[in-house]
Amino acid sequence: MTTSKTININVPVLARVEGEGALDLSIQDQQITDLKLRIYEPPRYFEKFLEGRNYYDVPDTVARICGICPVAYQMSASHAIESIFNVKPTPWIRSMRRLFYCGEWIQSHSLHIHLLAAPDYLGFDSVIDMSKQFGDEVRRGLKLQTLGNDMVSLMGARSVHPVGVKIGGFTKAPDQSSVDDLLQRVTNAKQDAIDLIRWLDSLELPDDEQDFVSVALQHSEEYPFNEGRIVSDAGLNIPIDEFEKHFKETQRDHSTALHCLLNEKPYLVGPLARLNLNAQQLPREIKELMRELKAQFPSKNMFHSIIARAIEIYFCILEAEQILTSYLPTEKPCMEFKFKAGTGYGCTEAPRGILWHRYDIDEQGCVTKAVIVPPTSQNQPRIEEDLKNSLIHFGLHKQKKALQLHAEKVIRNYDPCISCATHFLNLNLMRDGIDDSKPFETLFAPHFKNIKLNKTAIIGIGSPQENDQSGYLAIDFLERDKHICKLQKNGLTLIKLDRPGMMLAESLKDFNHVVLIDAIRPKPSNARFKWIDIQNIKNQTRWLSSHSIGVAESLEWIKSIENLPKDIALLGISNIEPVELTAILLQCLGLNNRHQNPS
Amino acid sequence: MNAYTKNKPRIAVHKFSSCDGCQLAFINLGEPLLELTQLVDILHFAEAGPLDEDAMVDIAFIEGSISTTEDVMRLEKIRHNSQYLITIGACATSGGIQALRNMANTGEWIADLYANPSVIKSLDNSTAINDHVKVDLELWGCPINQQQLLSAIRSLLFGVLPKEENEKVCMECKRQQTVCVMVTKNEACMGPVTRTGCGALCPKAGRDCYACYGPAEKTNTSALANRFQGFGLLSDEIARRFLFIHSDAESFHQEGKRWKTK
Repeated sequence: MTTSKTININVPVLARVEGEGALDLSIQDQQITDLKLRIYEPPRYFEKFLEGRNYYDVPDTVARICGICPVAYQMSASHAIESIFNVKPTPWIRSMRRLFYCGEWIQSHSLHIHLLAAPDYLGFDSVIDMSKQFGDEVRRGLKLQTLGNDMVSLMGARSVHPVGVKIGGFTKAPDQSSVDDLLQRVTNAKQDAIDLIRWLDSLELPDDEQDFVSVALQHSEEYPFNEGRIVSDAGLNIPIDEFEKHFKETQRDHSTALHCLLNEKPYLVGPLARLNLNAQQLPREIKELMRELKAQFPSKNMFHSIIARAIEIYFCILEAEQILTSYLPTEKPCMEFKFKAGTGYGCTEAPRGILWHRYDIDEQGCVTKAVIVPPTSQNQPRIEEDLKNSLIHFGLHKQKKALQLHAEKVIRNYDPCISCATHFLNLNLMRDGIDDSKPFETLFAPHFKNIKLNKTAIIGIGSPQENDQSGYLAIDFLERDKHICKLQKNGLTLIKLDRPGMMLAESLKDFNHVVLIDAIRPKPSNARFKWIDIQNIKNQTRWLSSHSIGVAESLEWIKSIENLPKDIALLGISNIEPVELTAILLQCLGLNNRHQNPS
Repeated sequence: MNAYTKNKPRIAVHKFSSCDGCQLAFINLGEPLLELTQLVDILHFAEAGPLDEDAMVDIAFIEGSISTTEDVMRLEKIRHNSQYLITIGACATSGGIQALRNMANTGEWIADLYANPSVIKSLDNSTAINDHVKVDLELWGCPINQQQLLSAIRSLLFGVLPKEENEKVCMECKRQQTVCVMVTKNEACMGPVTRTGCGALCPKAGRDCYACYGPAEKTNTSALANRFQGFGLLSDEIARRFLFIHSDAESFHQEGKRWKTK
């Protein structure tokens, strides 16, 4: 064993997680020097485009945040908005919502156990390989997953983005025969759930106790789905509308990722946290089964999460059986109400933990503000903390491959849903922080508005013979690009310019909107392009190539005789990709909306 | 490519900006998922496990819309590496619900949401896959369902391009003898202009269709919008009917813009 070494682990695409994330880990002399769970999915701005939409559009909109837990989004939103309108759901609606949620937990948990997590513990890369040796177990898991999906479909017509939910209840009550069919299958699935728990309990799970705070909803009479107070095992006990007072989304100094903290510390939400706090509400047969397990709850071993999920599947099956057995169709699957202005809060237990919503609604019934805190942004600080502890416990001297697998196992315990996480504030799109080596340096990125194409020019400066060809070659490329060609037909001018100076002044005078492209000596050396601040160009000359009278001097001079076009931008390029060049030019010209047809 | 070739067809499932819901059409297959793996080799499907982003494949399925420059480059590589390219779902076929940002000033939105906006490297627009590369088949729907997916794969296994479903939801309602929610309840149903494929789920559940499968062929959007006005919908409410899941699909975009006042 070496005593001094550096290990860098970069997992560019994390497999078997929902959405796209990456892990960066550096270990130097057996110390972790860098550890980041990077989330690089681009943001989708749901909170913004909810603004101005009618309250009745909200359930169908927020479902689209996550294909795996749309029910959770619909439920948190419905409860939040109904609280504004003083809608009190009937017992029928209340119990059907619990059934609806049971379906989502069964589906999501089965998916996670079999497709995402179990291959880790049995030494496979995927469920496809695992099924060759563990065919019966995989088939049992897929059967449970299908049952969960069909339970959601009973109320919502389909399991991904269900259509049966509206503010006030459901669009339709299911007919008795569909309920009876489902009940039959639910009853038959009880043994599968028990077998699943015992099977998972027999696996060799790492022993890794850690100190952490569990947070979940708690209800005085039942295992929580839609209602309750937010409690922790460290003494927190608050109504849901006080969430913002205790939980803070904070910005980490090296990124834009907002992580949610409780009293400035990471905390855990999700199945293990729920079970740690609510086991007393489980039915007797589950409690008895739990006493026989190797894994004991409450537990501080995150690797017990997989068993907690299986226990919750069993709970959902028993709960669903009870609801379906006493089912009676109703004429009123939805409450009547009058909408009014106000602020409402909703917090329900998504499969991955508490999902908190807040809406402000105006007199017209439209959303003026929406705030959504998904479980994954709450768990993300805990994941990073866990990774640090867990890897040290595992042994930092171990082989790189073993370390990587262990790190991935730790992450997957949390079932992070990156699709959810990135659609909100906690986007960690830093890649390398603010680094102008990356595309879309936005610091001085110009945005021309309402351009007229026949008054617009793109001018490439450079010489075909010398080593600063880039500006020249850029125009060559643009002449072949289909987007640019179309614009050219509508009046856009492309110019190649061998020397700046007088020629530049001459070329500028016919246009109102001009982008100049010139070669740069990049710094840092891998920079592909840079927008240069023309107002401050005297101090920027180090960026520019050395023409006899350079672009900087020419622009200064034209500026001094007040002959600059209305819109002018200077783009320095080095080894930019052609597609990237087109994209940034179109963005600068304000033309990347394909429906926009400027005159 | 057909069912009798010695080597199994190779497929890849790629994801761009999306909710993951269309990949679930594979993952939620249940036992048929295992059957599918007998028929095809899945070389890349990050959520399900297999990782080989640069694999050469016979069919590439693409979920999600394009919203960063890195996306554009990744997409061109995928196109280069695949024989058939099939988009799955609203995001990939029309830009999806997140294309609503195309009508707004994204810069302002970013500034509103992030304390340090300069590090957010997202393009202003969310765009469909066929805005950037050639697409061989589009499966519409938010989300797509398993029947669409399996019938596309089956067709390709037998060496034919699948038939495009583009008739209206109304036709499906009639076939199922579902009571029309527009006629009987004055619901602002989008069925008359929306592509079928879902099985007319919403009218069957007693509510208005909200066009999650995108525009059908030859849509008369203005007649429908006028009817909505007759129901008493305000101009902006009519606009929002069209500017929702497929706000960037041409016919919906134009009709929505016509009614939008704010």
